[in-house]
Amino acid sequence: MSNRVNMRPTSKNILLKVVILGDGGVGKSCLMNRFVSNQFDENSFHTIGVEFLNKDVEIDGETYTLQIWDTAGQERFKTLRTPFYRGTDICMLTYAVDDKASFRNLNMWKSEFLFYADIKENTHFPFIVVGNKTDVSCEERKVTQMEMEMWCDENGVASCIETSAKNASNVQEAFKLAIRHWLKAESKGDKNESCYAADTVDLNKRSSLNRSSCCMGSTEE
Amino acid sequence: MQEELELVMRCIEIIRIREISCESCGALRRSFSRRNPYYKSIYRPKTGDTGRKRDKELPNIEDLQSLVLASHKNTGRRKIREIQNCQKKFLRKTLRQFLYKKKSTPWIKRWRNRKVNPAQPQIQQVDGGFFERFGSLLRESAEIAKEQEQKEQIECAEQAAKVITKIEEETEEDEEKKVKSDEENEEEEIAPSDTEDNKADYIAVGWNIDDLYLEILYEILHNVGCDVSYDIGQTALFSYIQDAFKMSNEKHEELLAKAEQKEAPDILLNVEIIEAKDIAPKDSSGFTDPFVTLYLTSNSSHRYNTSVKTETLNPVWEEHFALPVTDKSIEDTLCLEVWDFDPAESVREKLGKMFQVKGIKGVRKFVKEVAVTATTGQHTNELVGMARIPLKTIPASGMTMWYSLDKKNKLTRQGVVKVHLAFGSEKNQQVAAQEHRHLLRILLLHELESSQVSPYWWCGNFSGQAEAIITQHSVQSGLTVTDVALSQFAVYSSIHRDHPLNFALFSNLIDKLIKPIQTMTVSEEEAKLFWDSVKRLLPSCFATIRKIRKKCPNEKATLKMIKEVLKILSQLITIDPPENFNLFPANLYGWLSYAGEGPNCDINATLRDAISQGASDWFNYILENNQTSDNSEEGKLQNMLKIIQLVRVDLQRAIEYYDRMFQEIMNFQYAKCLYILYQVRIATMVEPEVVTMCKSLKTINYDWNCFSDSEANEPLALGTKLFELYLALQRFVVLGQGLCPADYESFHIRNFYDWFHGGVTQWLDIAVFKALKRIEKAVELDNLKPVDNTVKFSSSALDTLTIFHQIKIFWDQLNWPDVEGSYTFIAKIIDDICRCCVFYADRTSQRVEGLGDRVDVYEKRFEVTSEWCLAINNIDYVRQSLKPFTDKLGMEDVIQQLSELKSPLDAQRCQHTLNNVIENSIDTVRNKIIELLETVTNKMSPAMKRLLVEGAELFSQDSNSIDKVMRYLDNNLATLHEHLSEDNFNRILEIIWENLAEILSDLIQSNIDKRRPPSFFANLRNTLQLMVKCFKQSEGDSECDQLKKVEYLLFINGLETSELIHQVHLDRWREQQNIKQGPFGELTVRAKFEGNVLFVEVMNARNLHPMDSNGLCDSFVKVCLLPEEKFTNIQKPKTQTQNKTQFPLYDETFKINLTSEQKNIKDGLLLFSIRDKDLFGMNTQFIGEAFLHFNEIAQSTESIESHPQLQLPIHRPTNLNTDLMKALESRQGDKLAKEFVKKFKQKMVKETN
Repeated sequence: MSNRVNMRPTSKNILLKVVILGDGGVGKSCLMNRFVSNQFDENSFHTIGVEFLNKDVEIDGETYTLQIWDTAGQERFKTLRTPFYRGTDICMLTYAVDDKASFRNLNMWKSEFLFYADIKENTHFPFIVVGNKTDVSCEERKVTQMEMEMWCDENGVASCIETSAKNASNVQEAFKLAIRHWLKAESKGDKNESCYAADTVDLNKRSSLNRSSCCMGSTEE
Repeated sequence: MQEELELVMRCIEIIRIREISCESCGALRRSFSRRNPYYKSIYRPKTGDTGRKRDKELPNIEDLQSLVLASHKNTGRRKIREIQNCQKKFLRKTLRQFLYKKKSTPWIKRWRNRKVNPAQPQIQQVDGGFFERFGSLLRESAEIAKEQEQKEQIECAEQAAKVITKIEEETEEDEEKKVKSDEENEEEEIAPSDTEDNKADYIAVGWNIDDLYLEILYEILHNVGCDVSYDIGQTALFSYIQDAFKMSNEKHEELLAKAEQKEAPDILLNVEIIEAKDIAPKDSSGFTDPFVTLYLTSNSSHRYNTSVKTETLNPVWEEHFALPVTDKSIEDTLCLEVWDFDPAESVREKLGKMFQVKGIKGVRKFVKEVAVTATTGQHTNELVGMARIPLKTIPASGMTMWYSLDKKNKLTRQGVVKVHLAFGSEKNQQVAAQEHRHLLRILLLHELESSQVSPYWWCGNFSGQAEAIITQHSVQSGLTVTDVALSQFAVYSSIHRDHPLNFALFSNLIDKLIKPIQTMTVSEEEAKLFWDSVKRLLPSCFATIRKIRKKCPNEKATLKMIKEVLKILSQLITIDPPENFNLFPANLYGWLSYAGEGPNCDINATLRDAISQGASDWFNYILENNQTSDNSEEGKLQNMLKIIQLVRVDLQRAIEYYDRMFQEIMNFQYAKCLYILYQVRIATMVEPEVVTMCKSLKTINYDWNCFSDSEANEPLALGTKLFELYLALQRFVVLGQGLCPADYESFHIRNFYDWFHGGVTQWLDIAVFKALKRIEKAVELDNLKPVDNTVKFSSSALDTLTIFHQIKIFWDQLNWPDVEGSYTFIAKIIDDICRCCVFYADRTSQRVEGLGDRVDVYEKRFEVTSEWCLAINNIDYVRQSLKPFTDKLGMEDVIQQLSELKSPLDAQRCQHTLNNVIENSIDTVRNKIIELLETVTNKMSPAMKRLLVEGAELFSQDSNSIDKVMRYLDNNLATLHEHLSEDNFNRILEIIWENLAEILSDLIQSNIDKRRPPSFFANLRNTLQLMVKCFKQSEGDSECDQLKKVEYLLFINGLETSELIHQVHLDRWREQQNIKQGPFGELTVRAKFEGNVLFVEVMNARNLHPMDSNGLCDSFVKVCLLPEEKFTNIQKPKTQTQNKTQFPLYDETFKINLTSEQKNIKDGLLLFSIRDKDLFGMNTQFIGEAFLHFNEIAQSTESIESHPQLQLPIHRPTNLNTDLMKALESRQGDKLAKEFVKKFKQKMVKETN
């Protein structure tokens, strides 16, 4: 991950490139807009290719500048969004809790990202899974939190969170969680990358077992 | 008989030069093709089963083969000619044998059929590429022969192969390669025999060759006309005809004798009186009513008259007359007389014309006419003039001439008359025409044989002898011009199939025939003959168009040829073939897409098909011939590129040479037709490959930090090739836009970029990869000297911008048509450029790292160098160029288009994103610059720190060390100022301030810890002030707060303890200014200076803080002057105690005498200390205090009552945590300080109670 250090002036804010992936219509743009400008547009349009926004976030006294690339989820935009994967620090895999298909596609998104971001096989990359649209009613909900956690366990993803861009619930937390997760991966990665990959599985398993109903628990470990 | 005749013709044909070789080649080829499946595939008969069956039925192929082989064996290494002669002789002999057979055998039929199968012309049309194959084919054929024949024969076979190849090469030099051959087309041309067609031509009439020969001899004997025959002489003609007919001497003599016995022919002189001009006026009206009388002088009684044309001087008759002549009448003369017709008019009628009379001459004539009419009452014709034409001046081929009219007694010309004169016969027209055709055929074949004309070359010029004989025959047979033209057309078109003739010949003939055909002046049979000939001619025409690529377009001959072909077609379009006439039989035109029912006569459609088919075949051919063994993706790409290139060349050629011709003559858009075909083919070829390739493209692996081992080369090369292909297609599509603007929208290839979607990502990566490599190199090569005197950056900055420019060029070239893609790619490019900038900044700082470090025996320090400055400037220059660069990417256009395509809102969002990306980039790079500036400052700081310390220690004793600081800073700042841009200089100044402040606060802290005396800090402060002065370019420059604070710290730490204490008091006074209501009450006083005397009236206090348990106070006020040490001689006045009241009234005035020195002391203060006296008077408690600055006390001589009362809030110290108190507290060894701090704390403690 040394290749990303260049983007980050040492004495200034730490710059983090965040890419938001997920099926079309799961609310990626809404998530970003809620996070950056605290706005929510019910009738938002499809994203064309990519969108980009900046946002400073303070965590533990350190300011991070997030460079957020919001991508278009439709298949026809595939060739337009994939160029932007390279050099990413954090990847947000999103789905909508009322859309089972979008959840099933997480695998596809993950592998698409790993392929185009040119990330080596066994490197641990800070993915975070975000289940959006928790504002829907119980009947409409198709993916439970348990399912999400199980998917994360199976796929070696350490962080996950459910959000609602509409209600502004957990949106800030999601991004902060992502940063914390990145910090953790970074510090471990710096020490010994290869060892880390081997350790990951156990660590995650334990943590996920201990995890309470609130996903935020994972950040505390 | 008919068949025999045909065989003779065939025989002669075959024996023609080089034909024999083709024939045997064909036979050889065929024989092998039956055995060897490989050859079968090459020479597969296109026409299907019939052709193949015919091949199989051939009984004598082996014979023929051995014949050829044998002939070579016999002749050994003799010359080609000799071999051919042998072959000729042999064949002639063979054929003669057949000739003598009374009935045709099945073999003959079959043989003839096979012969008709026009394989040969195709072989002749093959060019160089084919030869290679063909040669090898024959070589292989020899190998097969090896198994069967003996070794000698093999040698012969090889020779034969060489010879045959050579002969063909000789004859087909004009068909030089350039465009590669498409052999398979050859086979297609091999049409099945259309025997009926041939029969119609020369078998229908059972004409005996001897009879024809006899007829010709007879005609030579009875020569007519004044043409060449006179010059050539009978003998020459006889020997020529004998040669042409291949007649033996005996036979010739025999037939000649017969011919001489025959009676002289009946010859007619055909006269057409066409028109006359400028006839002398004979009538009084100034006109004439002319008619012509003609007769032969030998028979003047037999006269012919034309009709009368009334009242004209330029009559047109166009009337025909046939005057019988004998061959003895060659000395005869034809007389033409033009007369003025004068009908019998009554005098009255004449007079009626009076008004038409012109001029005096006319009046005279009129009078004369009236007189004559009146007297005779009869018509009297008047001779206008006459012409005499000796018959021997008339050529046999006929002529059209103007003759002038003479009158015996008149010298002036009486006018001119145009006459067509020709000899003719009274023969049966049909017979004559057929005779003529056969004659033409025999003579033409003879001509072709003897003069070795190249294919497509002969254009109607016979040798003198042949010309004479043909002319004689046409004249003596009485053939009309149309008859002759039709005969020629029929014969030439039939010969053309075997030996191509010049198309101009046909175009001229059709020109002559088109009118009679149009006007239906020819018989139905003649029309049929015409159309049959057309049918024979057309395949060759279309073949020419289909094989247009074999011709060299910049040769005049080629263009001429195409032009003539098109002319032929354009002429034929104007006439309609007879009903139910199938002009394009399906068996001949296998490539035709015609799907309608019934006969097909659509020349235009056929032309289109021919062009499409030709292009399509050619495309197939280049596809086949460019199949590379290299099956890698790169190889495939290279191949496709090559093919597109070839197609482009072909299109260009079409546009350059042919298109105008096709449009002008046939109104056919040739290039457009080709393009439409090619675009489909190219799309079909490229699309699947590219789509697959783009899907499986490997991403380029590169590390931002090191490139030395570039494993990325393979995908790099592939990506580059892919881009080349993209550009090639792009150019191709642009070409199509120009060629077919109307149809362009429907072309599939228009969306070619869609196939490349996946590739763009890689190209962008490649662009970045290349850019990074170049940047690395540019930085490496940069000597960090300004490129010239006017600028403050060096070469690598310029190089980097050039690289960016190249990315922009790449973007321009890509010219991505899809708006959404464009937008996204622009975002990507900007992001990439930003990365490049950052990379450049990093490389640049790495490059200057280590520069400017000085090590000598005394010290190690860093000097700012111009290189550092340039490095910073470079990065800044690149940063500043970012925005203009992004503007040049065409963002605005894209946003505009997005707004139209989607919605303005979408466009706005995209615009927003792009702006964000740009700003983010610029910010990031600016941070890089700041980072570098900080690096510079950090490098300077050790030296600054040391110098400061030295300055503090030695300030008073050693000014030298200060000089050193000053020099160091001065030098470095000068360098920075000189080289950095103003912005960056100011920026670095700020950073230096901050840095300095940091150093100093560290220094202060550590030295306080070390309990340095105040003088140390004072010195340090002096040093700092010197430095700041030196830093500052002008007064009022913004100083950073940190530095101000540090300076203040230095200031207070540099003070003596008493001064420090006074500062505390002043601080308290300042504090007091902000207190609205005293927390411990308020004190009212009046004060004034009168000279050096200070009057202070302590009047009262209010709301005093209760100090006693009863909630009241027993207060008094003590007045001190501060700083205390300056007023040691002054007794501190004190009021009386006012018991048990919170609102005491003191009302005491104190008069304090001061020295003027004391009175004018800076920051002198009055301190009112309000205290509570306890019951026993043992102790006093501190209630609070109030301050009055000397500044606040007026200078006045008036009584103190007239001065305003001053309300002072009573307060207590609250904050121990000030810099001043800290400084005091730090002076632990100082008794004064210690006591003051203790008291200060006590005052505070009281408050908390």
